[in-house]
This record gives sequence, structure tokens and C-alpha cells, in this order.
Amino acid sequence: MASLRPRALPLSVRTLRSALSSTRPSPNHFLSAPASTQTRAHSTSSVSADELSHFSALASSWWDPMGHSRILHLMNPLRHEFIASCLAEGTSSPSQNPSSTSTPSTATLNYLDVGCGGGIFAESLARTIPLDPTGPAPTPTLAASMTAIDPSTDLIQMAREHARMDPTVHEHLRTGRFKYLNTTLEDVLAGNAVTLTPASSSTAASTPNPSSPSTQPAPQYDVVTLFEVLEHIDPKTSTPLSFLTNCLRALKPGGWLIGSTISRTLPSFILNQVIAEAPWPIGVVPRGTHEWSKFVNPGEVKGWLQEGLMRAADTGVSRGGSAIAEGMRWKCVGAIYIPGIGWKMVPGSEDWGNYFWAVRKEI
Amino acid sequence: MRPISRAVLRPYVCPTCRHGISAGRRRFGSKSDSPDLYDVVCVGGGPAGLGLLAALRASPITSKLKVALIESQDLRKAKAWDLEPNQFSNRVSSLTPSTVSFLRSIGAYDHLDVNRVQDYQDMQVWDGQTGSRISFDWSMETSPFEDMRTVATMTENANLVRALLRRIADLGDENLSLFSNATVASIENGSDLKPEGPDLSAWPVLTVKPTGPAAETETPKRIAARLLVGADGINSPVRSFADIPTQGWDYGRHGVVATLALDEPATPPFPASKRTAYQRFLPALGGPIALLPLPDNHATLVWSTTPENAAYLKSLPTPAFLAMVNAAFRLDMTDLTYMMGMQSSSSDSTSHQDELTWRAQHTPLPSQIPPAATAVQAGTVASFPLRFRHAAQYISPRIALVGDAAHVIHPLAGQGLNLGLADVASLSKTIQYAVSHGMDIGDLLTLERYSSERYLPNAKIGGACDLLHKMYNVPGEGPVALARSLGLGVVDRLPFVKSFLMKNAEGY
Repeated sequence: MASLRPRALPLSVRTLRSALSSTRPSPNHFLSAPASTQTRAHSTSSVSADELSHFSALASSWWDPMGHSRILHLMNPLRHEFIASCLAEGTSSPSQNPSSTSTPSTATLNYLDVGCGGGIFAESLARTIPLDPTGPAPTPTLAASMTAIDPSTDLIQMAREHARMDPTVHEHLRTGRFKYLNTTLEDVLAGNAVTLTPASSSTAASTPNPSSPSTQPAPQYDVVTLFEVLEHIDPKTSTPLSFLTNCLRALKPGGWLIGSTISRTLPSFILNQVIAEAPWPIGVVPRGTHEWSKFVNPGEVKGWLQEGLMRAADTGVSRGGSAIAEGMRWKCVGAIYIPGIGWKMVPGSEDWGNYFWAVRKEI
Repeated sequence: MRPISRAVLRPYVCPTCRHGISAGRRRFGSKSDSPDLYDVVCVGGGPAGLGLLAALRASPITSKLKVALIESQDLRKAKAWDLEPNQFSNRVSSLTPSTVSFLRSIGAYDHLDVNRVQDYQDMQVWDGQTGSRISFDWSMETSPFEDMRTVATMTENANLVRALLRRIADLGDENLSLFSNATVASIENGSDLKPEGPDLSAWPVLTVKPTGPAAETETPKRIAARLLVGADGINSPVRSFADIPTQGWDYGRHGVVATLALDEPATPPFPASKRTAYQRFLPALGGPIALLPLPDNHATLVWSTTPENAAYLKSLPTPAFLAMVNAAFRLDMTDLTYMMGMQSSSSDSTSHQDELTWRAQHTPLPSQIPPAATAVQAGTVASFPLRFRHAAQYISPRIALVGDAAHVIHPLAGQGLNLGLADVASLSKTIQYAVSHGMDIGDLLTLERYSSERYLPNAKIGGACDLLHKMYNVPGEGPVALARSLGLGVVDRLPFVKSFLMKNAEGY
């Protein structure tokens, strides 16, 4: 009977490679340099080349529940809970009125997951998209669509392969309610990313998008998520401020930018650098995953977001920038991993290490 | 060389139309390749399997899941089960208050025929060797103004199964497939339905074959499970598919069961509704004898003893069997051992009763003995082997084991069914959590919540029953017997320890 056992980790490097070779190259790949992993990390992106190669190397064990990313997998349910707590305060969608809780809400929100990696969060959110778009939303995250982007070709490929193992998620990929795009946030904002969808690449019917960088397309997303991304931004090519501003630009008015990151304090140094990256059996994340100097404190995030809201508002919204910053809806809560118990939200523990934050773009 | 992809060869079709075409082709062309997809497939329609189904269907979070249950018996017969009011099935279980509250929470308890269930509030347990005793009596713990607390509730398994089936029928048949009279012919991993379909290579795919007269005409069905639940008993096929080993042993004991009618109690119970369960450990005969109350002065007997004794008891004519049961609660070990070897013949059916009457005159009787058994319901004397099993794991990717498939324990504390339903309560809660957090319900990261919640409690209670069995199997007046009587005596005199034990036994 041993041969009948379900494979614990069905994704080997070989299947990954064959998946890569069987995909038809998109037009963007023809235009860019031959080294596939680094192609998307061009100079306008916020993505660090070192970070990219580090995470691409971890690709094969990304979905192993006992592997390197176990701690991230365990954190994932908390992300859903934090998003639900934000949406309970209001959304950008006029039909989602928090006061009318008696009737079940329909799923109307469009999500953008920036830096989706192997798709741990993106796939779990895609699973909550109802197969019948008119039916009641199964969860308070109210997702109607999910676009997940990452600059690493390897990770996006692996994420797509993994998504095929869930027929529900696979169906959303087929219908386009769920998309994995190997692109950067900058390209999404410029409107260049659409040519990369698997559906359009297979029909070969897409024409190059003629939009010029000068015309800003209308923001499309109700929720932009940024989980464990801020601490991986390359300071040489980008700043968290410009990156967050771009995230806010992708948001509809009333939408939420939601993220999580790690604060740069002494307790977080001990927890994340000394203990978490220690050799087995103490450590829980691979060595070199984090650089303490890149960590960001809640106050910094808040400051950047205030500045970012003002900058994002410059393009077309009539209200004054400083008024926006003052009325900013800001949420922040710490999260602590307790071995044997799991992740717990602990308000007030923001400075100890991991924390969730959220900001709402004013209507 | 890589074959030219179909996408290149196909002329342009807009995405919506293409979706329709390819879906149609999959259904028609590759019927054998693509099984029906289910979220939860439960193998086994006993109390655990049906309890899981009812729990999933009753919760608004999981009621939309597509679920299937496969049972080799006829579920329609189980749903139509009926007995005369004074007849009771010999397969009876005790439900702890926490099991009852779980059944209430899923809306199944109201479907139980309440005239066939019996609460009891007092439990008398004593050692036949040393006479030391412990009484679990809630009337000392509660004030006279509130209802007496229930130690456990006795119900026939058939009554419970029928209640669960009625509750499931109540909740509608949308997204529900009940494969009754059907067996699992094979379980194997699915295949990658490239390029259009999903990759099912890590999904268990079951071939479900109808049994009985339908076997000729109906074709086997293939169904794939996001989560395959093994509620399929001690020899679980799901467990062997998952290649999960079990540890355990056979006790070399059999449980003799029967439905008995009892005499009126010598002194009426106070308060009048109070009922008592009795259990006497018989170290010389291989295990305890227990008499658990059923409605209207009936009781169910569970006598754990050696296979030889069990065979002897089953061979006795009814009057002799009743005399043995009454003797087992009254006489000392030497007398009982002698009576267990008496020659019995149908012509001389009073010899056991005479022996008991004569010997009882010379034995000081304790105060807590049950009323005498006066009749055996025809056809209810039966026996089953006692075993201990514990699966090495409860979970595997896309697999979870519940109930007897995961653990089988000694019945002396009446905990087997309660542990199974506690598994079900935990697994259904785990599935609810997973659905509301976007997790894959068959993923190990989901299922480990269930196994970490249930593995230790089950091991603890199974181990405690095993220890009790072993301690009360040491005959004679040696140090073990002394320790037993000291232990029980101390516990009986320390109210807080006792109350702690009673709460534990209740499952709180």
C-alpha cells in the first residue's frame, strides 16, 4: 500500500522545471534579457536582486507544511482575521454597508497581493472566492477577485503549479477571478501587467497595451495586501515611501492597504535574528531570510503612509493633502509566535517583532 | 521534444465560450479520468461518521461543503429502526454530559426517542476482592434546589444513529450524497488532469461499489475527496490506505452483554428520579461486571471476563445466567469461581439459583448492591472481544481518522463512543476554522489542529482504562489489592479529589 500514499510534497524541482518549459513565453520575456529570474527586477522596481535569489532558492519547500515556510503558513489565518477586522469598519464598495449585517453580503471586493511569493496568502484568499459570484460571500473577507504579483519567475510558476492542486482555485485561475502575474507593482500601475495573464497568453490574442506612462489608469483594487514585504525592499533602488505610495495609488477611495512586517527593536533582533534564524532545532526560518537593518517600526510605517496618502492624493482628488493625513484611519496590532501554541494577536506588542498594520484611503 | 501546445493549434475562441466547450468535453470525453469532486468523504456510517456529517451540515459555515458518506449497511433500515417500548437493543452506550451538549449543539439530541434513554445520577463502584468502594453521587454536590447532575445518559446505539440520520435528513440533501449499501472497492491517488483540469495526484479517489441486489445493475462510482475521513472502525480501510500503523493488544477478555429486567428496588430511590449505575470489579474472573440503568427498571449488562467464562455464561439456561449475574454482585471471589465451573444441564436449571441462595446467607452483603435481575430479554445475550488500539497518527495529507479507526479502548469506563464523538466535535470545529480562514480542509496544516487537540486526551483516557483493567486483574490479597483499596478509600474520603475525578469522567 505504500505506493498509494498521498505524496506529502508533490512539487519536486523536476515538475517545476517541466512546468517552466511547458509554459508559452509571454511577449515580455522576448523583450527582456535571457536570465529569467532577474528580468523583472529592473531599475524602476522596488525589488532587491539579492532578496529575489534568496527566495527563489527556497521555492521547492515553500508549500511543505513542515518546511522553511511553516511559520508563515501558521500566520496565514491571522491575516484573514486582521483583514476581516478592517473590513468591518467599512469598505470601498458601496454595496458593503457595515450596518446592514442582517443580510448576507455578496463578495464584491477586488484584491491585489503584492509580493505574493509562493502564494500562501493569495491562494488561501482565492479559495474564499465563491464559485457563484452572485451568491453570499462565505467569509468576511468578501473577495470577488484576487490578483497576486511577484517579481520572481520561479515563485510565480510554483504558485501556479500549486494552485492547480486545488480544483476550486484552479477554476478561479481558469475564469480569471484569480491571477498570478510575474510582474512588479510599478508595471501594474503603468497598466503593463495585463499582457501576462495566462488566459491571454494562451489565446495569443492580446495586443500590446498602448497606454503611455503619463496617463494614470483609474485605481482598481478595494484591498491591497502587503504581507511580509516591507522588510525586503532594496534601499538602493527604492524607498518604502515610494513603494507604499504606489500601493495607495492602486487603491480605490475607501479601500484598505493592509500589511504585516517586523519592527526594528532589540527584542525583535533577539527573536528574529538570533533565535528564529538559529540552526535547527531552535531556528524556524532559514538563515539569511531577514536583514534586521531593513526592518521597519510601526511609527515609520505610519509616517510613510501619511506622506504617501498626500502624494497619492495629488493625482486628481480635490481634497487637500494634509487633511487626508490628519483623518487617516490607521490600525496596528502586534502578533507573537508562541512555540506549541501558535500565532496570537497581542495588542501592544507591536515593538517586539511582528505586527499587522492597515490604513484606509479616505473616500 | 515538447509537443506543440493545443493552445497554439486552436483557433481563437473568446475565453467565456472556451470555458463552456472545454467543460463539456471533459464531462463527455474523459469520463473515466475525472472523478466527482467532494469536499468531505466519510467512510463509515456509525455514530462517529453520522455525527460528523450532522455537525458539518448543521453549521452555517460548513453547510455548503459537498459531502458524501459511504456505509455498507442499509441506512434506510437504520432510519426506520423501531422496537417495542419494553424491548431494548443490547448495543447500548453511555453519553457523558459533554457528548450530550455536543449532540444538542448540532440539533441531533432532540431527535432521540427520550422514552428510550435513561439518565443516571449515581454510580456505585466497588472492588469484589477487598470491598473498598467509591460512590459517584452528584446529589451530594448539588443543592436540593437544582436538578441533580447527571453522571451519564444511557442510550441504545440504534436510537442515536436514527436520531443522527433524522437530523441529517432535516438539513436537506443539497450537496449531500449518502452511499448506503455500498462498499469502498478501492482507494488510490488521483491523476493530473493536464492540461485543462486540475492536478488531483495528491487527492484520494475512491471507487464506491453497491452491494446486494444493486451490485449487478449499478456501475461503481469514482469520487475524489479533498478530505477523506476514516470513521470505518477498528480495521479501517482508510487507515491502511494512508499507511498509518496502530499499536495495541487484545485483552484476552470478552464483554458479555444482555438486556435485563430488574426487581423493584428494596428501598425506593430518593429523590424518586435518581438512578444508579453499578460496577463491581471481579479480579478472580478477569474483569468488572456493570449494570447500567435503562428506562422502566431495565438495565444493560456489560460483564468483562475471560473468553472461557464468557462462553460458559452464554451457554447457561436463562435462570442459571440470571443467578450468575446476581451472584457476581453479591458473592465473594471463591464462591464465584466455584459457581463459574458448575455443570449445568437444562433438566437441572435451578442448581445455580439454589447455590446462590445458600451461599448468600453466609456472605455479608454490602449496602450498594443492585436490585436482583429477574429476566433476560430473549436474544440479547452476546459477547465481543475487548481490545486496545491506538493509531500512530490521526492524520495524513487529505486523511483524518476518527472514532474506532483511531482508537479502541477497554469499555470499563464507558468512554469509547464519547471519545469518538469528541473527535468528531473537534474535527468539525477544525473544518469550520479552515473554511472561514481560506485554508484547504485536507491540508496537514489544517488537520494538525484536530490531531493536536485529540491525540493526548484519547491516549490519556485509553491509558487510564488500561491501567484500571490491569490493576483490577490482580487476584488475591497482595500489595496491589491493598493499594487499590487504599487508593479508592482515600479518593472516596477526599471530596475535592473525587469531584475532580467525576468531572473528568463526565468529560468536562
